[in-house]
Amino acid sequence: MAVLGTLSMGFQLLASRLLAPHFGTSIIVWAWLISTFLAAFSLGSMLGGWICNAAPHVRQRLQVVTAAAGVVSLAVTALFGRVLLDRIEVAFLPVEAGDLQEVGGMSRALFVSCLCLFFVPVTALSSFSPQCVQYLAAHGTAPGAASGVVYGISTLGNIAGVMLTAFVLIPNEHLGLARLLLLWLVVAGVSLSGLILLLRAPNGRTAS
Amino acid sequence: MKLACFVLLSVLFGSCLAAETAPPATAPRKGSYTETYDTLYNSLTVQREGSIVELRARSRRGEFLESAVDLDDPLRLIVPYSRSVFAAEFFLPNPKRVLMIGLGGAGIHRLFVAAHPEALIQSVELDAKVFELCRTRLGFQPTTNTPVAVMDGRMFIKRNREQWDWLILDAFRGGYVSPHLKTAEFYRECAARLSERGVFVSNLHETTALYYSDLKTITSVFPQVVLFHVPGTGNVVAFAVNYRTPVISDDSTWSADAEVAKPFAGRLNFSLIRNGIRPLPTKEIATAKVLTDDFAPVEFLNSVRTNNAAKDR
Repeated sequence: MAVLGTLSMGFQLLASRLLAPHFGTSIIVWAWLISTFLAAFSLGSMLGGWICNAAPHVRQRLQVVTAAAGVVSLAVTALFGRVLLDRIEVAFLPVEAGDLQEVGGMSRALFVSCLCLFFVPVTALSSFSPQCVQYLAAHGTAPGAASGVVYGISTLGNIAGVMLTAFVLIPNEHLGLARLLLLWLVVAGVSLSGLILLLRAPNGRTAS
Repeated sequence: MKLACFVLLSVLFGSCLAAETAPPATAPRKGSYTETYDTLYNSLTVQREGSIVELRARSRRGEFLESAVDLDDPLRLIVPYSRSVFAAEFFLPNPKRVLMIGLGGAGIHRLFVAAHPEALIQSVELDAKVFELCRTRLGFQPTTNTPVAVMDGRMFIKRNREQWDWLILDAFRGGYVSPHLKTAEFYRECAARLSERGVFVSNLHETTALYYSDLKTITSVFPQVVLFHVPGTGNVVAFAVNYRTPVISDDSTWSADAEVAKPFAGRLNFSLIRNGIRPLPTKEIATAKVLTDDFAPVEFLNSVRTNNAAKDR
């Protein structure tokens, strides 16, 4: 969970760097970016809670589908993010449109950009928190304690993600944004695979 | 529960779509005063002593003088670097179209308009409050020849397809410039907006390691770059052009001082400005990194002090 937390919030900083050449770094950009991530955390948590209550064989399939959606969407962001942003920028903020200061067009462009590039990966990553709570609870940890441990560790991962990305990874001259996004893709793939295997372990069944 | 979440998200996104910049609410003010403002992007201090109004941006390193205007003599350039910006006259005198990214207190604008009344000087300013204070406190009144767009500078460059004789980049926020305005990709976009003999002008601070990366990046895009040091400050103004000949580092190719000074009616000493030319720090540039949209640790480079910092204090 710490790794997923690290990925989620570190991804937000990478996302801001990805958006900057196209939409700047104004308060409008940050408002959409933060809202998108919070919406993804919200939906991911609800999705994860729903998956917890599915029958075991369905739950396992849903875990694979969710993880695959997260990895594939992250791959799209890492490999085609710039191209997609170019297209979105042209579509929503055409040069021919006279009003250079239009806030509405900028917001629409950012909404579509954030939705296409960041929403699905973060939703997928977030969906595993409730499942970890369920796993711990099924292995004898009291539900309240399990919830506290998972969300506490996840939030520590969030902090680590922000600090690591801001102070170590982005300033590293050998990495760069494109490579960092690929690194995120690899780490997400490995950690989600490991988590799915862990959640499938014996006694890792739901209480229902 | 689902309905409640849907309604909550709809309200959130809807309010963002409907968001507009708040209209100005303050009126011009007289007498000495000190005011502070926390805007969306800056922490600003506006201070009036006598007829001088200063606009300063607060940061962890103290207050940075962004602009200053003498309301009794608005054509007087108080901030030293603003005089060096006019060295662009050496390379392309009598410009018809100028784009300035970063409005500040519009100190440069007033002298420019007085010298070139027929020319257009378009400004782009991200912070609407800066524009408001510029009008209500620093006495700048935009006209059809001095329009101001409130938006991100890079977005303006990308969406505006016009050509500019001078393109001045001076988008500081208390000693800090956003990374996306420091990259090779951005400078290429600027280069593409210059007229045939157009001049790109960038105000730089030589006091941090960012200076060398800045220069490395600018020289990676423009075939020719010339620097003018602003005496007594940490400012260096860089001038870059898209052409290879004539060689602009050779001052015999520049317009004569007397010729470029004529429209300014004695307001600027171009001989003094000319003396500020300094060679490119090629040794330091060689080891610096080009900043790109992929790699631009501007905040970190900006926090590393150079020896130049001590030299100029």
